[in-house]
Amino acid sequence: MTAKEKSRPSAGIAEVSFLRKHLLLIIGAIAGIVVTLFVTNTLFDGSMEKMTGTETWQNILLVNALVGGCILLFVVELKRQAIRVLLTVIVALLLGFLVTFIFNLDSADRFARGEFRAQVVSEAEPVENDDVDLEYNKRRGGEFNKPNVVAPVSEVAWTFAGREGDVVSLLAYAKNRRSDVNVLVELRDETGAVLAAASSATELQVEETFDDLVSVRDAVIEGFALPADGLYTLYTRPEEVETGTVLAEAMSQSQLAFEALLLGPIERVNRWGVWIQDAITLILLGMSFAIVFRAQQFSLGAEGQLYFGALVSGIIALNSPHVPGVILIPFIILASATAGFIYGLIPGALKAYLGANELVSTLMLNVIATRFFEMVLNFQLKPADAGYVASAKFTDNAVLPVIVESTQVTIAVFILAVVVFISWLLIRRTPLGYEIRIIGSNLRFADYGGVNSKRTIMLVMAIGGIVAGLAGMHLANGIHRQLILNISFALAFEGVVVALLARLNVLVVPFTGLLYAYLRAGAQFMERDANVSFEVVRMIQAIIILLITAEALVTFFQARQKRADIDETGHTVESLEGADV
Amino acid sequence: MPIIETQSIHKIYPNGVHANDDIDFSVEPGEIHALVGENGAGKSTLMKILYGLEQPTSGRVAIRGDEVEIGNPQDAIELGIGMVHQNFMLVDSFTVAQNIILNRETKQGVRIDFAQAAEDTEALSKEYGLAVNPEARIADIPVGMRQRVEILKALYRGAEILILDEPTAVLTPSETQDLFAAIRSLVDGGKTVIFITHKLKEVIEISDRVTVMRDARKIGTVNTAETDERELARMMVGREVFMQVDRPAVRRGDSVLSVQDLTYADSSGHQLLKHVSFNVYEHEILGIAGVEGNGQTELAEVLTGLRPPTTGEAYISEEQILGRGPRSVREHNVAHIPEDRLTNGVAVWSSIDDNLIIDRYYREPFTRRGLLDINAIVENGRELIREFNIIAPDGAIPVSALSGGNMQKVVVARELSSSPKLLIAAQPTRGVDIGAIEFIHQELVDQRSNGLAILLISADLQEVMKLSDRIMVMYEGEIVGIFPNDESLTEERIGYYMLGAERQPAEEMERQA
Ligand SMILES: Nc1ncnc2c1ncn2[C@@H]1O[C@H](COP(=O)(O)OP(=O)(O)OP(=O)(O)O)[C@@H](O)[C@H]1O
Ligand SMILES: [Mg+2]
Repeated sequence: MTAKEKSRPSAGIAEVSFLRKHLLLIIGAIAGIVVTLFVTNTLFDGSMEKMTGTETWQNILLVNALVGGCILLFVVELKRQAIRVLLTVIVALLLGFLVTFIFNLDSADRFARGEFRAQVVSEAEPVENDDVDLEYNKRRGGEFNKPNVVAPVSEVAWTFAGREGDVVSLLAYAKNRRSDVNVLVELRDETGAVLAAASSATELQVEETFDDLVSVRDAVIEGFALPADGLYTLYTRPEEVETGTVLAEAMSQSQLAFEALLLGPIERVNRWGVWIQDAITLILLGMSFAIVFRAQQFSLGAEGQLYFGALVSGIIALNSPHVPGVILIPFIILASATAGFIYGLIPGALKAYLGANELVSTLMLNVIATRFFEMVLNFQLKPADAGYVASAKFTDNAVLPVIVESTQVTIAVFILAVVVFISWLLIRRTPLGYEIRIIGSNLRFADYGGVNSKRTIMLVMAIGGIVAGLAGMHLANGIHRQLILNISFALAFEGVVVALLARLNVLVVPFTGLLYAYLRAGAQFMERDANVSFEVVRMIQAIIILLITAEALVTFFQARQKRADIDETGHTVESLEGADV
Repeated sequence: MPIIETQSIHKIYPNGVHANDDIDFSVEPGEIHALVGENGAGKSTLMKILYGLEQPTSGRVAIRGDEVEIGNPQDAIELGIGMVHQNFMLVDSFTVAQNIILNRETKQGVRIDFAQAAEDTEALSKEYGLAVNPEARIADIPVGMRQRVEILKALYRGAEILILDEPTAVLTPSETQDLFAAIRSLVDGGKTVIFITHKLKEVIEISDRVTVMRDARKIGTVNTAETDERELARMMVGREVFMQVDRPAVRRGDSVLSVQDLTYADSSGHQLLKHVSFNVYEHEILGIAGVEGNGQTELAEVLTGLRPPTTGEAYISEEQILGRGPRSVREHNVAHIPEDRLTNGVAVWSSIDDNLIIDRYYREPFTRRGLLDINAIVENGRELIREFNIIAPDGAIPVSALSGGNMQKVVVARELSSSPKLLIAAQPTRGVDIGAIEFIHQELVDQRSNGLAILLISADLQEVMKLSDRIMVMYEGEIVGIFPNDESLTEERIGYYMLGAERQPAEEMERQA
């Protein structure tokens, strides 16, 4: 009897349930649809008319559906790991919230002490307005403070000479329009008697009067006709607040800030556009890294390839003002891809045939590419009369056609979809992709099996270059529509995070790219909408990114660590001190 | 009171594999306890649980009578448990002494006291008769010494209980004897040793008690004195195992591989192969005997295209195959079971399916019109998993989730299924269980009877003698004798040649080649 015939019960081996596969698909589909609907709903405030009233709304829907698709892929591909990624993001956001709260405690205190603004509309002449930085008869939100005082003043009076029948309106609001602090306004006559007072606006006022009225916290005296000639004083101060309010204020501020962070990017179409266009860049870069890292090549060349791609497509764009777009655009796409390919091939060849470390060589090549880009821009492309270093604006035929009005969401969306599909096909469905995966898994096994690993390594780096080159084209011809200095905004390295977060899975990169871009855009809107200072926003963003990066890196290194930890006969040592420490 | 006692340990891996099923395992202080079982029976898993590398899904562990939770290896070390893994975990670029004291450094201020480290190492190594050279770099020392370093490292950390996971799989017979001597002196010094092996002869030789596992369950624990190899084999496999292979006499055919005057020197100029010439014929297993490190590895790697030869030629069907890389060699229908499966033979992070097509992925039916045919790949995997009895839920799981022996089966399955004309098999049964050894042996012999030419390299002289039609002995990179494997050839006689004490006359050798 041979072992062949021997039946061994497969005890202990649970059957991989067929249902589980489908379950994932269902969960993914539901998550995808929910997100698509949610984004669309928020974007148009849930109003059908508003949606259909927007130009090119069909394309917005289409892009949102693609976003949903990315979520589906994320769930199906990462399976249990998806939960981990989401948890990290949630923890990061909570931490960010905490930091925001702590910083807001300080500013809440300041608001409570009364940093506010006021504006006056009156036909009357001011008597002494040098005390107050306020302009007469202008609806202007100058600070109702004395100029150049260090600490915010907690009350301000403004005296003016009025005639009988003059109409005076006064609006005062805390410096942060979303503050919880009530402001008090009073109009007093010469004797100090209060003629009119208000501490917060009514709902009616908010809806109907002053353009600038936004909240019931604002205080408004509206259209008050002076009873007689004489001197009048407008008096404003914040209402007394208790300490408890400071906490509540900080809390509500933080909530507002996070609302801006979490919903900001999808509140308006133009903001949504910012998110999507950044996501396209990040996804392309993430894809480039994911492909190259897949073969365990630590090439950081995407930045240089991006510049090279942008430069080539920019030069073509600037030199073909009369070629019709249908011909020019495909040509530019091809040219930028080729540029990236070539610029990726160089470190690939250096690595494969000369054994040059790809990390070092690509970093050097990045420097060369960016400097070369700057040089050409400065000395060749910059119009003589330009005040700053930038090329001329591209002509319309060279700009990627916009698919959503009032944004820079262009046909790059479709280019991206094609790139994702081809990358997937390449990695999972071609012999070259198999070689890439095997080399990434164990180079010596690949060699043993007869894979031409030198050629594959060279090719994989060049292919990563193609994608990075396209990212450069997207930045130049889709977003900036001209060549500018620093065109990449150092996005390339954020592409590394996107790739690692996606576990180098090309089908997950679109999701992680969207997520990452969303957080970036959200941070930007948090700064703009909520009273969170630039530095704090950067800190919050850094904390979130740090955590996400840490998670991605930990997973990455755990995987490497585990390689050394396999129970096996052999004597290879692939990592320092295995898990037995 | 047992020094280790587990109660109803269950381990279910995240992928659903139930690797330990209700294990009650106990070890008495001061004993040598052998743990045996087929590939994938769950031996390593149980040991990893004791060493804190895996957490049991349920069940209790008591050390010296106290119930403990071993959350990580650090906890285990504190409890006096040390483990030497199936694969070693040493830092290649460090010296022996540095590896031993790693993370336990005696510091002089901030500087690590290397002199002290070397002294400590010497002392330990003397105490237990584990000879090592403290100053040598790990990369430069042989496998046997690396293993001693691992053991010393565990002892240095205060191990009272030493777990050795298949320590002899990579050792030569004489190294094994040295190891056994060391184990005995450890036990005399009051230590307890748990010892995993697939070689039942070793179990009988060294252990006091044996625990047998099968299919994740414990079959029983017996006193070694009251059992024998056959009974253990039966307990392990659940049936009689016949370690004989049935090797019918077949007339050998034409020469398949003809090696002529092959020389190989490594980059530092050491002559590792010297003027090697021989033939391997159709219908023949040519076994290479020799103490490990006498050029066998290099010979296999040069012939399979992994290393370029310095001079010399090798022909398959009149075509020179050397110096053109592994793909070209494989295209000449040469299969290769590499000696070190983890380094060369598998990509542990890839799926079993992917591992099974490395030599054929670019051909029909796996690649059609430039695209991989996933169905064909999965089908190939399913087929081979079934045929070679690889224990795995399906072909999509990574090889890393397989037990050591099942990884080896993946390699064997791939290479034997490539319908080769020549198979170069280095240590084909290393780390696999007796049932699988029986299977692989029979498979090799059957294929040879069907016409395959096999060049067999094995550190196990008995394996070579059991399977080979002819035996070639290598010593210091040279062939010192080629003999037909008949009654007149004894282990003893080969032994003289292996040690370089004797050498066949040149004419005779030429006649036999
Ligand atoms: N990390 C893991 N993830 C999933 N399954 C695993 C993992 N490690 C081992 N297994 C599975 O658990 C079972 C027991 O494996 P284990 O390594 O304990 O076997 P073993 O008895 O040591 O075998 P061998 O003699 O081949 O080394 C096997 O079926 C194996 O495939
Ligand atoms: Mg094992």
